[in-house]
Amino acid sequence: MSDDEFVRMENITKTFPGVVANDDVSLSLQRGEIHGLLGENGAGKSTLMKILYGLYSADEGEIWLDGDRLDMESPQDAIDAGIGMVHQHFKLIPRLSVSENIILGKREPAAAFKPGTEGDGGLRSALTNNSLLQGLATRFTLGRDEPEAEIQQLADDYGFDLDVTASVWELGVGERQRVEILKALYRDVDLLILDEPTAVLTPTQAQRLFETLRRLTDEGLTVIIITHKLDEIKDVTDRVTVLRDGENIGTVKTSEHTSDDFARMMVGRDVLFQLEKESVSTGGSVIEVSDLHADDDRGIEAVSGVDLTINEGEIVGLAGVSGNGQKELAETLVGARDTTAGSIEVNDTDVTNSRSRKFIENGVSFVPEDRHEDGCAGTLSIMHNAAMKAYTDTEFSDGLRLNYGAMREYAETLVEEFDVRGVDDVRNINAGELSGGNLQKLILAREMLREPDLLVANQPTRGVDVGAIEFIRERLLEQRQAGTGILLLSEDLDEIFDLSDRILVIYDGQIVHETTPEAATRRRIGLKMNGAKQAEQSAKVAADGGSSDR
Amino acid sequence: MKLNVDLTPRTEVPRWMRYGAPVFTILAALLVSSFALIALGVNPGEAYYVMFVQTLTTEFGLTNTIAKAVPLIFAGLAVYLPLKAQLWNIGAEGQLFLGAIAGTWIGLSVSLPMYALLPLMFLGGGLAGAAWVAIPALLRAKLGINEIITTLLFVFVAAQVKNYLVRGPLQSPTANFPQSSQLPAAAQLPDIPVLGYPAGILLAIVLVAVTYLVINYTRLGYEITFIGANDKAAEHAGMSKFKIYLLVLLSGGAMAGFAGVSELAGVQGRLRASFAPGYGFTAIPIALLGRNGAVQVMLAALFFAVIFVGGSSIQTLLGVPSAIVDIMQALIILFLITSEFFKQYSVAITLQEGADAGAPAKPEGEV
Amino acid sequence: MAGLLTGLANATVNASTVLILAGLGELISERAGVLNLGVEGMMLVGALSGFVVTFLTGSYWLGMGVAITAGGVMALLHAFLCISLNSDQAVSGIMLTLLGTGLTTYFGNDWSGKSIEGFPEVTIPVIGEFLVEIPVLGSALFQSTATDYAALLLVPIVWFFLYRTNIGLELIAVGEDPETADTMGVNVFRMRYLAVILGGMFAGAAGAHLSLAFNGIWSATMTAGRGWIAVALVIFARWEPARMLLGAYLFGLFNAFQLYSQGLNLTLSAGTPLAGFLNPILEFVMNPTIMSTYPYLVTLLVLVITVVRAENRELAQPSALVQSYSREAD
Repeated sequence: MSDDEFVRMENITKTFPGVVANDDVSLSLQRGEIHGLLGENGAGKSTLMKILYGLYSADEGEIWLDGDRLDMESPQDAIDAGIGMVHQHFKLIPRLSVSENIILGKREPAAAFKPGTEGDGGLRSALTNNSLLQGLATRFTLGRDEPEAEIQQLADDYGFDLDVTASVWELGVGERQRVEILKALYRDVDLLILDEPTAVLTPTQAQRLFETLRRLTDEGLTVIIITHKLDEIKDVTDRVTVLRDGENIGTVKTSEHTSDDFARMMVGRDVLFQLEKESVSTGGSVIEVSDLHADDDRGIEAVSGVDLTINEGEIVGLAGVSGNGQKELAETLVGARDTTAGSIEVNDTDVTNSRSRKFIENGVSFVPEDRHEDGCAGTLSIMHNAAMKAYTDTEFSDGLRLNYGAMREYAETLVEEFDVRGVDDVRNINAGELSGGNLQKLILAREMLREPDLLVANQPTRGVDVGAIEFIRERLLEQRQAGTGILLLSEDLDEIFDLSDRILVIYDGQIVHETTPEAATRRRIGLKMNGAKQAEQSAKVAADGGSSDR
Repeated sequence: MKLNVDLTPRTEVPRWMRYGAPVFTILAALLVSSFALIALGVNPGEAYYVMFVQTLTTEFGLTNTIAKAVPLIFAGLAVYLPLKAQLWNIGAEGQLFLGAIAGTWIGLSVSLPMYALLPLMFLGGGLAGAAWVAIPALLRAKLGINEIITTLLFVFVAAQVKNYLVRGPLQSPTANFPQSSQLPAAAQLPDIPVLGYPAGILLAIVLVAVTYLVINYTRLGYEITFIGANDKAAEHAGMSKFKIYLLVLLSGGAMAGFAGVSELAGVQGRLRASFAPGYGFTAIPIALLGRNGAVQVMLAALFFAVIFVGGSSIQTLLGVPSAIVDIMQALIILFLITSEFFKQYSVAITLQEGADAGAPAKPEGEV
Repeated sequence: MAGLLTGLANATVNASTVLILAGLGELISERAGVLNLGVEGMMLVGALSGFVVTFLTGSYWLGMGVAITAGGVMALLHAFLCISLNSDQAVSGIMLTLLGTGLTTYFGNDWSGKSIEGFPEVTIPVIGEFLVEIPVLGSALFQSTATDYAALLLVPIVWFFLYRTNIGLELIAVGEDPETADTMGVNVFRMRYLAVILGGMFAGAAGAHLSLAFNGIWSATMTAGRGWIAVALVIFARWEPARMLLGAYLFGLFNAFQLYSQGLNLTLSAGTPLAGFLNPILEFVMNPTIMSTYPYLVTLLVLVITVVRAENRELAQPSALVQSYSREAD
């Protein structure tokens, strides 16, 4: 290990059922630097850091901290080693106060038992030196007042506007994030991991955070930030490591590269498939959305004023990095999420805030992002899942009875038409037993064969094997041919470019860019997806002299 | 040396395990219960012989078993149906009481010939049982309040309502005991001619068939099953959790009410303060054993009926306290829960050399 | 009148001790996120084992010790099933109640009808003489058995344990959000095991109080549903020890009213207006059988009000109650 190297992750590999999250990734951090970890969703950034924090254990590979090899089996080990993590989804307990959340797990005894406080009489040293007593004291007393004062001091020092005696449930989101950061700072960490820290901060708050981070690194702290925001990378990091598809693409010095370069590294140039895309004349609108607002599950606004129209026979690709409101937008368009403002019209019928059944009846189909959570009932058979949307149709149900014979045939049709493999009898195999690709094909079959007017597909090829990806994309084009309007959400820019007639980019809950595959460059889209403000100038430069990149 | 227990979630349950689990459970429970028998100086072989063989081969035993099975089948269905939607109707016992109360009241106040009175009693009992679960059902469907606690609380309230009524409005004017008057002959469940089994078994079989048909052949059954399997996906599909939750709980309450009426009209003959058969609680292991279908529920109910009848036989014949049945019930539940675990995870126990988290040295056993 | 009030006070305090003991145990367990519906069974096991040991050895302290251990062992089984095997907590609890009831009825047959010298009523040394003289409350509160005093003392002790110790903080955290607690380095499994076993020990003690201090006898039905009332009590108390003490007295008061309902003729005299209308209602409301439903009804009411009114749904109950936890669950 070189003098400056503080952390080294070597050849880390981590696999989950069906997907390789980290593929032989090595990472090196220098002492006192702010290191950026950049990549699209699914690139493996979160997994890598969770391994570093002891939440996951790597299948292969080693971690070295300051020359010592770390063997971590739990977050406690990471904490003991001086590693702290500020999570994207807050790990706070609402019922407890700020200071209680921060001291949780530290087991500080009450002041009387703490070594090093005033007085050195016989009783005092007896109290602090006896290990049995210390053991009891750390468990059965609560050191709160002193730590509370310390934490308040810490908060004030860094300009966090917080009352540390307040209960967390009373705090707003920005405040809660500050508590998260305080949590790590209080533990006297040497390495601080931040996961998408500015996701819920205003620009001013983000700037304050960066100032704090710089001050901390000046004092010797090493920081690594997971982010997809190119601006942040340029603003605050010293070096950047880019991950893509589970691999480390490279580590570079921030100052030597532009946002363009980072976008290119992140997004890659794999052109896997050439698809035949015929031009189709588009028809009238199938869905019209006006000034739509919606909150996410945490109650934070995720869709912030979206206007959108999709026409018959067109594929509208929605590009964006996960977490910018596209999931929530997709859910509002199919009736799976309520809106807080704005309107939705499907085929000229107002369906704003109607229940999902109304959307289904008006010809809306949905392929959700999480196929197991939202897309199927894993413990039920293929036959049951195939009929999930169709079971109210007259061919299956006369109101009371369900024609399982017809359902079985229907399921078999789906399986055959969409090449779902691994099914001998649709009644005996459970949906949860199918591989990712086959399950996705089944869900697509179910949603497409209803001949919908609008199909919303959220990440339809994610986590799916190559053969199935090709199949799915071809079917999407076929559906477009048949006149369905399709909203395709995808983090895969290749897919967006290959399939879309129009491309929209979503960032921070708003549509920030609209273009076509012919007119757009992948670089520019990539920049817009990541909120880069320089996009305008770069695009001009590219349009003038540079080649159009796909 | 470190003992390492590796748990791997299963993607599918092997056939032998899925159908064998209830059998293994029962065998294990019987095995452990034999220790309790031995502790009291009783030969387990003898006890089980009386409990099972004698009960099933004598006419007396068989008739009693069928009689006991009737309310158990109803109660089992009362828990089984909500369970299909992943709801726990722990309060079946309370709904059973209300059914018995309504049945008593109707039986004593309305004078009609049997073929009209009995159906009326069952109808009233079913409505009463459903009414008794209505509030917990609404609280769960509307506010998401856990139905385990609410239905349970209602059980104890029901018990006291029953006690109050048999000491008050429903008390028999002739005797000074806390019990109602004897039900008139028209209100008592007759036996099936020739066979001699209680008529209630016919209704029970019908309900089992109806439940089976509904779950497996109707749209409603499909929705119930789907919501039980994944309520989030079900909502995406446009199904109404609210409606289904209410429906299954109210139906469950009604069936528990039937259990109350059938026990009252078929066995008890009058409502007593001491009436506390516990069928509503036995219904829980019955529904768990019969998790896969209404017919299995019926079989499980029959099994428990055998145990109950056998239990009182060995009490009279061998002096074994009939509480052995409660112990067996509890053990069945215990082994059922444990088998649930093995159905979800495959367990590999290994011994590791040293403290390295390296490859396991000697695989010990895998289930 | 004074005699009646004293009698009521006595009965209330007497009835409350069991509830306090069982309730505190259940409170600890639920605060850590594990519902224990096996309290009734654990109480019976505690009652019988304590009784038998006291009968055989003559030492009620030993009996109490064995009872506490027995309760703890049963709770260990519950903990193993729910925490390590991720079984359904409600089913496991009911199973334990069935098991406890079954076992004690089965083995307890020979012991019915016997009696022992249990915990005697004592007064607090020195000041006890004077405290007993306090009208109404004096003899109720200050002339009690050791277990009664212990129950009262345990309330502030449990309060201190939960709110003023590090372990208590971790226990609460584990019941709110085990994942977060895990990331902070808290050992979730160990904490939950501890809480459940403690709960069982308290339940065992509550049962032993019944057979050793309250009654001095054993009968198969002696808990009479008090275990269930304790479960209701914890909900009524919104999982807070101080409220639980008040709740225990309230429920104990209901119990006392039942016993004294004959003497308490709270109906209006014939001449008062509306007497004809109100009297039957009053009679109904004061009927001892009806009164025994009040703990449950009141609990239900509190439960609904808490959920509906919670300005923050996050605080209605320990957030992770009844949910099992395992790492890398995704």
